[in-house]
Amino acid sequence: MSFRSREFFAFALLVSLCACKREQRIFDPGSAASQPAGATPLTEVGAGTSPPPGNRPNAIAESAYAVGEGKRLYQAYNCVGCHANGGGAIGPALMDSEWIYGSSLEQIHSTIVQGRPNGMPSFAGKIPDYQVWEIAAYVRSMSGQLPSDVAPSRSDHMPMVVPEQSRPKEHPGAEHPQPVITEPQR
Amino acid sequence: MNEQHVVIAEESYTTTSDAERAAQLAKVWAEPSGFLGWFKAVHHTTIGKRYMVTAFGFFLAAGLLAGAMRLQLAFPEAHIMSPDLYNQVFTMHGSVMMFLFAVPMMFEALSVYFVPLMVGTRNIAFPRLNAFSYYLFLFAGLMLFAFFFVNSGPDRGWFSYVPLSGPDYAPGKRADIWAQLITFTEISGLCVAVEVIVTVFKLRAPGMSLNRIPIFVWGEVVTSFMVIFAMPGVVVASTMLLLDRTASTQFFNPAVGGDVLLFQHLFWWFGHPEVYIIFIPGTAIVSTIAATFSRRHVFGYMALVLSLIATGFIAFGLWVHHMFATGIPQMSEGFFTAASMMIAIPAGTQIFCWLATILTGKVVLKTPMWWVLGFFFVFIIGGMTGIFVASVPVDLQVHDTYFVVAHFHYVLIGGAVFPMFGAFAYWFPKLTGRMLSEMLGLWSFWLFTIGFNITFFPMHILGLRGMPRRVYTYPADAGWTALNQIESVGYIFLFLGVAVFLYNVWHSLRRGEMAPANPWQAGGLEWATASPPATYNFLNMPTVNGSEPLWDALPDQPVVSGMHEDVREIVTTRILDAEPEGRDEMPGPTAWPFIAAVVTTALFIGSIFRPIAVSIGAIPLAIALIGWFWPTREESQRRARRNIWEQS
Repeated sequence: MSFRSREFFAFALLVSLCACKREQRIFDPGSAASQPAGATPLTEVGAGTSPPPGNRPNAIAESAYAVGEGKRLYQAYNCVGCHANGGGAIGPALMDSEWIYGSSLEQIHSTIVQGRPNGMPSFAGKIPDYQVWEIAAYVRSMSGQLPSDVAPSRSDHMPMVVPEQSRPKEHPGAEHPQPVITEPQR
Repeated sequence: MNEQHVVIAEESYTTTSDAERAAQLAKVWAEPSGFLGWFKAVHHTTIGKRYMVTAFGFFLAAGLLAGAMRLQLAFPEAHIMSPDLYNQVFTMHGSVMMFLFAVPMMFEALSVYFVPLMVGTRNIAFPRLNAFSYYLFLFAGLMLFAFFFVNSGPDRGWFSYVPLSGPDYAPGKRADIWAQLITFTEISGLCVAVEVIVTVFKLRAPGMSLNRIPIFVWGEVVTSFMVIFAMPGVVVASTMLLLDRTASTQFFNPAVGGDVLLFQHLFWWFGHPEVYIIFIPGTAIVSTIAATFSRRHVFGYMALVLSLIATGFIAFGLWVHHMFATGIPQMSEGFFTAASMMIAIPAGTQIFCWLATILTGKVVLKTPMWWVLGFFFVFIIGGMTGIFVASVPVDLQVHDTYFVVAHFHYVLIGGAVFPMFGAFAYWFPKLTGRMLSEMLGLWSFWLFTIGFNITFFPMHILGLRGMPRRVYTYPADAGWTALNQIESVGYIFLFLGVAVFLYNVWHSLRRGEMAPANPWQAGGLEWATASPPATYNFLNMPTVNGSEPLWDALPDQPVVSGMHEDVREIVTTRILDAEPEGRDEMPGPTAWPFIAAVVTTALFIGSIFRPIAVSIGAIPLAIALIGWFWPTREESQRRARRNIWEQS
């Protein structure tokens, strides 16, 4: 009996050791209106900017759910309009390794909140703070900076190849109209 | 009624030579002992008992999850559980009940234990495969609960529809874990299906022609065929889901020509027959118990067998009635409504055969018979609401409401859990050698039946009032509070009913009255051997003279002789008339199935995180399978000697 219970505790210990934050979900971070991302005063512009005083929710960068939400918000707040799906258009690409204003979560957070020269507007007071963190985490995932079991999977609407079914119709020679035989041959 | 003329049970050794033979057989068929022996066991009674205990454990766990849900729903605007935890809990409840309890208990556990006994042979066909299937089933459950305890329980419902469970909308690994759970349990079900079919078609006792096979065995054979045709559908669906999520395939992505409804078609191609896979063994149990406790052969044996087979066929023609709300063409809706109504014909035939059996017999009201009567009451109500939801206009109104929840709990608990408790009450003496208490049995029956109806009947009304299923809470002014509170009180009765049953089992295992070989004076072959049966099942392999072998036996019913008793030898018979055809040898105990199951488990769990795990895991799996099938010299030589054609 004691053998079995020891085995059980060993198993329980093993299970609790591998408990992960990946599946943590925060459902009630406060209402969107009450916690808008605050505008911190602009100081200097550059990659070396010190991160804003830490109110960083640690769980967000490690939670698959939060990153998935960030992906959805990235579409919803029209980040796509300038950055496309990470490839860049009017704004810089987000899926490469070049970071003008820093690649850490905090730095991306301040970039979104404060805005940056040459077109990046400030979203201070427009997006709830926890959502900014989620978007920032998703932005990091685009350049592969999050573990693969946290990063969101592909989007269903972004085909990687042209599917066979959506090719334009081809007209091989054999499809040209054939002469119709009206009388049966005898 | 003759008793034990056919087979000599252990108590009735008449000669010293019988006792010597019993000792010899016990030595040859011995199960290995000790801690390591546990992993080597291959006898169907050992594996069958493990299946029962494990599946019942999962039943209790999923029942506790149901209790958590009833607690959450007992109060409006409750926040006992977060919505996220609630999603996991209802998904776990459904998945565990369907994949880890209902099918393993009604099909795998009962058929592994009883089919070889009922057809009069010494072990199930492919016993090592049988052990392998059990370990896979066990590991599937352990994996699921381990992930649940680290906050990674599946949370997309027990059928995990895409796109909600697809790569775009289900972050994390929860949906992958659900998909691999399915693969595990279905492989284990397929293994048992193959074993049962071969056991019944090739290993029946001489004389047990097709029209003498016990109804229960018929039920499990029909179920096996259904498993073979249905389960690949869901294995394919879950594997495609997993590939979509981890390996960037696009099976279910409409943007590139994939199809979201394909998942539902594949799932319900399995999912609807699944309901009958659960229910057919239940009806077969009802036929068995009704015949024994009415003290007569079952009325309309042929009609019953044919309706089992008809149910098996028609079950594959109505899966679309789960998809009436997906916008399929009206022609399909009409066709599948008609097909759904048609299943009432074989179901009705069975019910009238049981009624005729009971009305024309001399009924003995013991606990198993009470469970059968409870089955009639509950299952027929479930069948009635089935007619509601099979009709498209009504279904569109009640789709995804508590009405559907009420319907499927009436058919599943009525069709599977009531017969299962009846089966436990009926076969417990055979399983353990001890009798259950009648009084406690009646207490658990009445508590369970009353609790069941209090819990699930109000759900019909709640559904008609518009309460959707799977909501984690509801507003106080929705008018749903009182009925939800009644349901939660009903859960307490259900809980007590199961608790009394467990106490009954525990008490009877310690101090229960010893059971004779055939305490109910029943007619099946399983009652012809000792309780519990020895590892060789029968001292003399029996022959059969009717559909209830013990009732129909001649005063001098012959037994099979001329078997080698120094090896694990069995008789094989022809499919139709069960004429003896030859002898074959059963493989002995080995740990290889366990090792293969461990490796398979590692491969499956690894593939949740990295697709390459399939390729890497294939190497140790191949090694395990080579070890499993490595031939031994003596065995091959014996096999060659038995083969009369090769010798000449």
